[in-house]
Amino acid sequence: MRVQYNYLPEQFADPEPFISDWRRLIASAEFTLGPFVEAFERKFAGYVGVKHCIGVNNGTDAIILALRALGLGPGDEVITVVNTFYATVGAIVAVGAQPVFVDCDDRFQMDAAQISRAITARTRAILPVHWAGCSPDIPRIMKIAEQHGIPVVEDACPAVGAFVDGRHAGSFGKVNAFSMHPLKPLNVMGDGGMVVTNDDRLADWMTRYRNHGMADRDHIEYWGVNMRLQPFQAIVGSRVLETVNGLVAARNRNARQLDAGLENVAEFVTVPARPAGRVEAYQLYLACFQKRDELLRFLVKHEIEAKVHYPVPLHLQKAAAALGYKRGDFPKAEEQAERIMTLPAHQFITGDQIQFMLDKICEFYS
Amino acid sequence: MSKYQVPYTALQDQVASIKGELMASFERVIDSGRYILGQNLKAFEEQFAAFCGTRHAAGLANGTCALHLLWRALGLKEGDEVITVPNSFIATASTIALTGAKPVFVDIGPDLNINPDLIQAALTPRTRGIVPVHLTGRPAKMAEINRIAKQHGLFVLEDAAQAVGAKLNGQRVGSWGNAAAFSLHPLKNLFAYGDGGMMTTNDQALFEKMLLARNHGLRTREQCEFWSFNCRLDELQAALLLVHLRNLDTWTEERRALAFRYNDRLMPHVTVPTEAPGEYCVYQTYVIQAERRDDLQRYLNERGVEALVHYRTPIHLQPAAVGLGYAAADFPQTVRACDRILSLPLFPGMSARQQDYVVESITEFYRN
Repeated sequence: MRVQYNYLPEQFADPEPFISDWRRLIASAEFTLGPFVEAFERKFAGYVGVKHCIGVNNGTDAIILALRALGLGPGDEVITVVNTFYATVGAIVAVGAQPVFVDCDDRFQMDAAQISRAITARTRAILPVHWAGCSPDIPRIMKIAEQHGIPVVEDACPAVGAFVDGRHAGSFGKVNAFSMHPLKPLNVMGDGGMVVTNDDRLADWMTRYRNHGMADRDHIEYWGVNMRLQPFQAIVGSRVLETVNGLVAARNRNARQLDAGLENVAEFVTVPARPAGRVEAYQLYLACFQKRDELLRFLVKHEIEAKVHYPVPLHLQKAAAALGYKRGDFPKAEEQAERIMTLPAHQFITGDQIQFMLDKICEFYS
Repeated sequence: MSKYQVPYTALQDQVASIKGELMASFERVIDSGRYILGQNLKAFEEQFAAFCGTRHAAGLANGTCALHLLWRALGLKEGDEVITVPNSFIATASTIALTGAKPVFVDIGPDLNINPDLIQAALTPRTRGIVPVHLTGRPAKMAEINRIAKQHGLFVLEDAAQAVGAKLNGQRVGSWGNAAAFSLHPLKNLFAYGDGGMMTTNDQALFEKMLLARNHGLRTREQCEFWSFNCRLDELQAALLLVHLRNLDTWTEERRALAFRYNDRLMPHVTVPTEAPGEYCVYQTYVIQAERRDDLQRYLNERGVEALVHYRTPIHLQPAAVGLGYAAADFPQTVRACDRILSLPLFPGMSARQQDYVVESITEFYRN
């Protein structure tokens, strides 16, 4: 039995709706922002429960735009978590600011207890990540941020479909970012991203900045960039958004089966806690495994496409050399990097496939 | 359906004859499940480099990203200066300004491109590079520009956003400077169905850096060399661009024929674009210079001719440029051109009847 990580050929097995979308787009000749992008922005804002959504080229651009909107630049510090995708840090550095890492907790999420210690006079934003489509302790992070008067920018890139106490991920902070990369819960056959906010003034600024700073075709108010969401991606996103709650439910069903099955090997495998009041989107299904590398080889040999996100924590990347961190600074992330593994648990994985994976994992440890 | 009898472009008609091929490519990409940095992009990059006559080409999210990322890769920073023109699309200057460097403008010549004779006076010890813009698809005076750059050790970054396929002495734009940036926006001669961009270079090290820079600085999935951006050209667009590239020479020839036909008929009334010896222009925009331009534009628009102005306000007079401290009179040729230029409809598939209607309308306007 094969258990594949990539589900895109299954998700888009029927290309007809997208081909007809494509025809509609070409007939409209609306290739630069325009009605399809605007319609999707409204729909997405409604889904997340925020006032404004600004469609951008990808999730990295979304974080960059959020940080720019808050006026961040050289000399400013942004607190984020050390186990995230490279782009979180890339975006902070792109605006000229300094990333300041905190360690993660046993749920692979930003450890809220460490934030206060990382705050300095130069801290201008706290940037929690909804890593793997699951949420950190956002209510607590918001409280700390409010106490210090520091804005929160949520990196909710992997977390469309995730909820905390009934509120959607990415609806807590001042300006928040989402990705629609092919392997995100809401995906668009290419790159795409969104920024959301309830702040009218920031929304207005971001709408222009992402399109060359244009007030209109002939007037450029400030130097801006081109980080526009593509209309075709907006049309696909609009279609896929309708399916998000269903696919997240399927992933939760798979996650529950994996959680339960992995209890049988609890001495070798550590599954993160699943706090009440959450809907997790399981962009990745993560757990910690003893003898991870051996297990990974074993699973791959049995055609189970497990992966590692990621074996090297960010502060030990070559790119981070100038930040001045060293091994030992973030013990939790470093330990998890040795043991973490991602199992395929997406919406097209069946109960039988999960059972097969569980059998193989038990077989490996016995 | 356009409200104009003669629209500015008609992409749908232009691609009608290759629709089957496009749809087949489109479907193949969907079926592949590979939507980022796949085989189509690689093939397009190789063919684009071959087309331009450069060793390397890399796909990027858009033309602005191409300029911006190139400047980042070259380490342009606060305190540096880059020489360019004030009559271009805003991105030519904004991509310099956003690195913290200062765009230093010089005026244009009668070809509406940078006047090489004025570059020398704009040089300072802080000058790092020159950005010649091949505006409207007409190549800038690259031999003169390269000579000055070489003399002073400056980087030449061609802004070829509007000029894919243009040639100077038989050599394509994009292969003259140290690197070049192209746009594949839907209004460009080689276009994607949305935003797209390319960079070309013969510099292996710069090329390799750009491949990392457009993809988060990733050497491999697990190894991040430097913090960077996501600035990728979508696989789906690359697949369609491959089809378009095969048709580009035909489309360009058609544009040129239409431009020459306009020239013959409009010469008595307005200043028409010319080609100097050795120039092969691709007419991404067909720009005339006209007396009473605003009245003429209104007249044409009312008669159903979609004439546009690229661009009405020069960059040095934009609110964004206030900090650069320029005045209108600093670039008299640019300011004069901005008041006179008008872009007429010109696109592959444009009929003689449509073109004659534009010509008649202009003739009619100046008769009154």
